[in-house]
Amino acid sequence: MDLEKKTAEKPLSERTDEYLWDKSGEPNPEILRLETLLTRFQHDRPAPVFPEIVPGARRRSFPVRLRWLMASASMAVVALLVMMAVVIYRNNQIPFAVAGWNVSRQVGSAHISSGLGQVLETDKRSRVTLRDEDVGQIDVDPGTRLRWLNKRDDLEWMVLDRGTIHALIWAPPGQFVVDTPSAMTVDLGCAYTLQVDSSGAGLVRTSLGWVGFKLNGRESFIPAGAACRTRPKVGPGSAYFEDASANFIAALARFDFDDTTPEQRATDLAVVLNESRNRDALTLWHLLSRADPSQRLLVYERLRLLAPPKAGVTQQGILRLDRSMLDQWWNELGFADISIWRHWERSWSATNRAVGPK
Amino acid sequence: MICSVVLAHMASAPGDPIDLFIPGLCQPVSKQAAQEASEDAGLVTAAQDGDRAAFGRLHDRYARMVHGVLLAKVPFQEVNDLVQDVFLTALRRLRTLRAPESFGAWLAAIARNRASDYHRHSLPEDPLGDDDMTTLQLAVANGADEDPNLASKVLEVIKSLPDAYRETLVLRLVEGMTGPEIAARMQMTPGSVRVNLHRGMQQLRAKLSRSMHPSRQETP
Repeated sequence: MDLEKKTAEKPLSERTDEYLWDKSGEPNPEILRLETLLTRFQHDRPAPVFPEIVPGARRRSFPVRLRWLMASASMAVVALLVMMAVVIYRNNQIPFAVAGWNVSRQVGSAHISSGLGQVLETDKRSRVTLRDEDVGQIDVDPGTRLRWLNKRDDLEWMVLDRGTIHALIWAPPGQFVVDTPSAMTVDLGCAYTLQVDSSGAGLVRTSLGWVGFKLNGRESFIPAGAACRTRPKVGPGSAYFEDASANFIAALARFDFDDTTPEQRATDLAVVLNESRNRDALTLWHLLSRADPSQRLLVYERLRLLAPPKAGVTQQGILRLDRSMLDQWWNELGFADISIWRHWERSWSATNRAVGPK
Repeated sequence: MICSVVLAHMASAPGDPIDLFIPGLCQPVSKQAAQEASEDAGLVTAAQDGDRAAFGRLHDRYARMVHGVLLAKVPFQEVNDLVQDVFLTALRRLRTLRAPESFGAWLAAIARNRASDYHRHSLPEDPLGDDDMTTLQLAVANGADEDPNLASKVLEVIKSLPDAYRETLVLRLVEGMTGPEIAARMQMTPGSVRVNLHRGMQQLRAKLSRSMHPSRQETP
């Protein structure tokens, strides 16, 4: 009775809403009409014959508490593994950064000393990749010892005592400097590989841009595709393209570094001059300052044939090693603009004279 | 707490059969729904163990729901085949169902995916034109049965509503399920089913009357 009274007291819309909800209220004619109209779409098929169900190892549902326990245990295991990794990492003394360079990749173990003059040493099987977003990336090969000398906003100065590094530098030219026991390597906007063996002899191979090599006033410029050797106490030899003939390269190495007889030296120079191609003007330009005065004329004549100088470069000036004429001829060879190097030399002498590799 | 209050308010109209609330899940359910869910879970477990009859009973319980979910999205003539596909898919994947009590929601998801697959591989359907809408509204209002396509046209209007409304309306108006049944089978809260039914009907009425009174706006 009470229920009937309550129902009667409800507004019509509420009573018809009840019908829409659970068919319990007063039927709404519109909804009834829709139900009647749409009933023809109703599901009316019997269940099909289902295939056999092969019971298998179904996944069991674990109680909520057990799930939390399992999740907590998993997290604890992960945390433990992370802690073990950190401990192992620290035991191997591998910091995440070396002298401001991030260690972006490491294979095997490496030793890195802390504090000033940080040293990175890789063993025979380890490799490290260092990256500085403002400077570039260095891949350090196995068996390498790299020391940091100085780091400023405008200078990254390190020493490669031995081993091999592959440098890809995007800092402005002249800001990435690597000393070796036999020459100083100056990046002039490039990618290169620098190797130093146990005797201190070095080899630089440029793959992009160009590199300057310097020791005690002896300098070499190595453009992409070229290489250059160095020897302790001698400094950098003549740059050469790596696709030159084997005879050419061997004779050049003897001429640059070996203490041979004057006859042998003349023979080696003859081989280099005879086998030089147009692009080997690179090597001949370097030989101008390395040949004896008596041999310099031969080099000049051959270079003049391969790359005739423009006005302003004279035979006499070259034979007396006039700096401005040599620079002009270098620029005419088209490998790079030597004024960048000269600017770097002036700036280097002014700011870093008192600082150098020990 | 806020959740439970909101849901209780949404679902607690006088006479609403809500008498059980599961704390933590924020999901009010009726005793009957809870009992059915428990029975369903038992059937699912039995089916997982290879009981084909149990799966047949699940089919009987859920076929209308699957049929309605599909009918809300695909043409009527395709629905029966797709219903069978959905149950066969469910049968194949039954072992992967970790929570037997979620069978309804899981099955509805399979049905929705199957409908989406159907649309990916079929041409788009032609929407109703303005002339169809006018005829339709007049026919429904006058209770006329002359147009043999009237039912199809009404169904198309329902299918033009937003997903949540059309599915619930098809289950209620076509499959004849009550709101509490829909909530129990689909594992939805009674409150949200009630809201979907109410708003869905409002939108359906608006769509039907719009052709007669073009200046009216649809209720959001």
